[in-house]
Amino acid sequence: MKKKAWLVTFVVLLVGMAFSQVLPNIPRSETLIVDILHGRVGNPGNFNLWIPGSLAGHGPQQVLMDALWYVDPQTGEWINALAAQEPIYNDDFTQITIKLRQGLYWSDGVPFTADDVVFTVKNIASHPGMNSSAQIQMYVKDIYKTDDYTVVIELNSPNPKAHNIFTSLVYGALFIQPKHIWEKVDNPLAFTFNPPVSLGPYVLDSYDPQGYWFLFKKREDWQRTSVGQLYGEPKPNYVLFIYYGTDDKKVAAQARHELDMIFDLTPEAFEVLRARNEYSVVWYEDFPWAWMDDVNSRGMFLNNARYPLDNKDVRWALTLAINIEDVVISGYAGIERVTALQSCPTQYFTEIYYEPLEPWLENFTLDDGYKPYDTNVAYRIAEWAEESYNIEVEDPEAVWGIGWWKYDPQEAEKLLLDNGFSKDRNGRWLLPDGTPWKISIIAPADFEIDATRLAFAVADQWRKFGVQVNVETLEAGPLWTRQALGDYDVGSFWGGMLASSGIPDIWTFINGFKSDFYTPLGTAVTTPNNYRWKVPDKVDQIIDDMGASYFADPKVVELTKEFYKVAVEEMPVIPMVINKKFNANDNYYWTNYPNANNPYMANVSWWAEFKFMLPRLEPTGRK
Amino acid sequence: MKVLKTYIIPRLIQYLLVIFIGITITFIIPRLTPIDPVQSAINRLTSYGGAYMEPEAVASLQNTLKELYGLEGGIVEQYFAFWKHLFTFDFGPSLSMFPTPVTEIIANSLPWSFFLLFFSLIISWIIGNILGGLAGYFKEKKWSNVLAVVAMSIYPIPYYVMALILVILFVYIFPIFPMMGGYSVGLQPTFSWSFLLDVLRHSILPAISLILVGIGWWFLSMRSLTSNIVAEDFVTYAEFAGLPKNKLLFGYVMRNGMLPQITNLALQIGGIFNGAIITEVAFSYPGVGSLLQKSITNGDFNLMMGISVLSIIAIATASLIIDLIYPLFDPRIRYR
Repeated sequence: MKKKAWLVTFVVLLVGMAFSQVLPNIPRSETLIVDILHGRVGNPGNFNLWIPGSLAGHGPQQVLMDALWYVDPQTGEWINALAAQEPIYNDDFTQITIKLRQGLYWSDGVPFTADDVVFTVKNIASHPGMNSSAQIQMYVKDIYKTDDYTVVIELNSPNPKAHNIFTSLVYGALFIQPKHIWEKVDNPLAFTFNPPVSLGPYVLDSYDPQGYWFLFKKREDWQRTSVGQLYGEPKPNYVLFIYYGTDDKKVAAQARHELDMIFDLTPEAFEVLRARNEYSVVWYEDFPWAWMDDVNSRGMFLNNARYPLDNKDVRWALTLAINIEDVVISGYAGIERVTALQSCPTQYFTEIYYEPLEPWLENFTLDDGYKPYDTNVAYRIAEWAEESYNIEVEDPEAVWGIGWWKYDPQEAEKLLLDNGFSKDRNGRWLLPDGTPWKISIIAPADFEIDATRLAFAVADQWRKFGVQVNVETLEAGPLWTRQALGDYDVGSFWGGMLASSGIPDIWTFINGFKSDFYTPLGTAVTTPNNYRWKVPDKVDQIIDDMGASYFADPKVVELTKEFYKVAVEEMPVIPMVINKKFNANDNYYWTNYPNANNPYMANVSWWAEFKFMLPRLEPTGRK
Repeated sequence: MKVLKTYIIPRLIQYLLVIFIGITITFIIPRLTPIDPVQSAINRLTSYGGAYMEPEAVASLQNTLKELYGLEGGIVEQYFAFWKHLFTFDFGPSLSMFPTPVTEIIANSLPWSFFLLFFSLIISWIIGNILGGLAGYFKEKKWSNVLAVVAMSIYPIPYYVMALILVILFVYIFPIFPMMGGYSVGLQPTFSWSFLLDVLRHSILPAISLILVGIGWWFLSMRSLTSNIVAEDFVTYAEFAGLPKNKLLFGYVMRNGMLPQITNLALQIGGIFNGAIITEVAFSYPGVGSLLQKSITNGDFNLMMGISVLSIIAIATASLIIDLIYPLFDPRIRYR
């Protein structure tokens, strides 16, 4: 009887395994399976990436489309993809000459030439609803080719940043359209570009009309793509982008080796995965495991237009009332890199900004002469990690950041008392008019979970300090709307000046802070300055000077440092931690993903630069 | 003629009124929420660091999007434009999946919701009512009590817990059923046996979850109804008159018990047009439920309206049909 029961169970499992495998018709060992960034795609048949709201992170931008230039934010590597070299500006930055890579072909056999670039720019400029149309209209006076592989753009005004629009600084860029397809299209806004003609190393094989998966097949002529020319043959013959569903399903799928690259997991989910799949690695082999080089930091965005946060001393008091070590250990289980600058401490930005500015940070004083910088945060967290996880940390600053602001409630109290604040008999802070000081923090409800965690962790810190704090979690729609209108006291947000890229130039992130673009409360911002920082004149000057400089000009680095110094002094937003990811990679079928031991590029499967990772992956040979 | 005047026309007027009021409320509510779809779209573009735009370009995009999304003009203007389009079933483009028409997105997903929910509902309705009817009629029997205990144990289990248990059991521990989707990766929808079987295989687990929970409810309500009917005078009289047990059970007891169940069934069929959000999320099954949820969080007014309007019309129509055909089931109505 027992034997029979075992036999039945065995047969059921066997049939089940055959029944439930993810790729019934495709060789698994030749297929890389990647998590879809956006979840289920509601309009899967639309491959028109040039219209507002279009989704691209399910494969089209990673393996089909291509841009002129890419920059890898991890290493700062500049990649000439469709272009053969960097943009060539004339002396007064009113003209760009673009030399194109030769020998590239669209997947239908038509050569890629200057005609495609000229057409794309003109096509988008003449259709105002298309992405980047407004910018192209602002920038471009004329565009023409001088030969099949040289394009010249005449600009409306001097603009050394105009090439940024064609550059994938982070995530995506303006991709080039195949002229021979799009020139026949009457209404580009309604065109679905299906089947898409590819300039990348893969073509669309098939997709789920319900939007759960997209299968791409390697082009036979992969040599005739920028990826092929630069890095060689992409190793997987197929790339399948798939959405399994919630984290638990992704964990189960990777534990069964049916999902190679996961976009992001919660630390708890990764803990479960690690226990079930010894081949799953994110970045570090040991604690803290996560990839902590995503190009955005999270911070507490203080509404500078609302009393009493319009006072610099109050903003600094709130900063010094935060024990960052506690936030990182209790709020994030020790898995976060801190940022003292209003920037993003990636590997690259740490080298060019954080480390050079550390002496200045150590000597920086508040108006009362107090030195707020704490150089030892990373070391204390490392000590805790070594004890908790029985590991040895070689370079704590490389993992947890170079330093943060001191936890000093006494100095915070002094700053508030000097500004007329007082405490009631329960130790709660009162505003100078004697009313209780209450702060509401808004944060995402069911997305960007780290921002939500940050809100609660900081709320705890401020409550301990005696401020009455409430956390309000909101869905994306109301969150974005309230952020844009400035309808909040404090927001647990990211972006704007807290972003970085693979170039030292941060002009694109800070240009919106210029006084000219200041927007009063109640009117939606058109810039990242949703916290309404009224910048000093010096910042306007820095932005103008930076805007007039080419990105590789050494002056840009110095101007950026000056900007960060002003931001520290003013503390319009409290920079907290980097945007970490638990983007787990399964090394069972494929290996040589970027990792802490071999950080050859950012560990991203959702950015357009993912295509350059594909030739560097290696099959393990498992069937 | 009298029936038309006193019964059919008032119900038709009521039907149209319900639809009108329902749609109007559905139009107003999203516009009262603190969500600006244009701002949501711009944030999707800029918040993730992907697209940098000059402030002037953002301002220009704001205006363009308002125009493209049909959000220009006052709320009254938008309201009349909405009704104008509605008569041709044009809900405009989806704002979060621009410019795909809402009707196309719904048409793509609705068959999956309908297929899964309709058959699950019908199966659970039939099994639940038959078992419930028998258990109520034979309530002194041991098996009746056993069934009641089982149903009472299943029914209160929250649906998401039931779904999770099934997923853990039959997807993770015994990997018998697929992990996600409506059909296997690589297959293309065709009218072939192999494709239909594949679709069926993918829908078995979500269907079981819905049927199990559904049966519990139908069983308990039918058992309770028949238990009461059995004690009615007309049943006692029929018993004394010596009617055969089968006739008594099906013709007198269960037939009477079915009346409220039919009404409930009709309303639930109407509700299919809302999809089943938890089922779709738990089993990663395609359908309109997850679309509705996404449309709400993204401020996609048009998609939200499209699904809600369909649902309002479906439920109102189902009630109307039931009202109109009720006399067929209940002769007492005919005599009024």
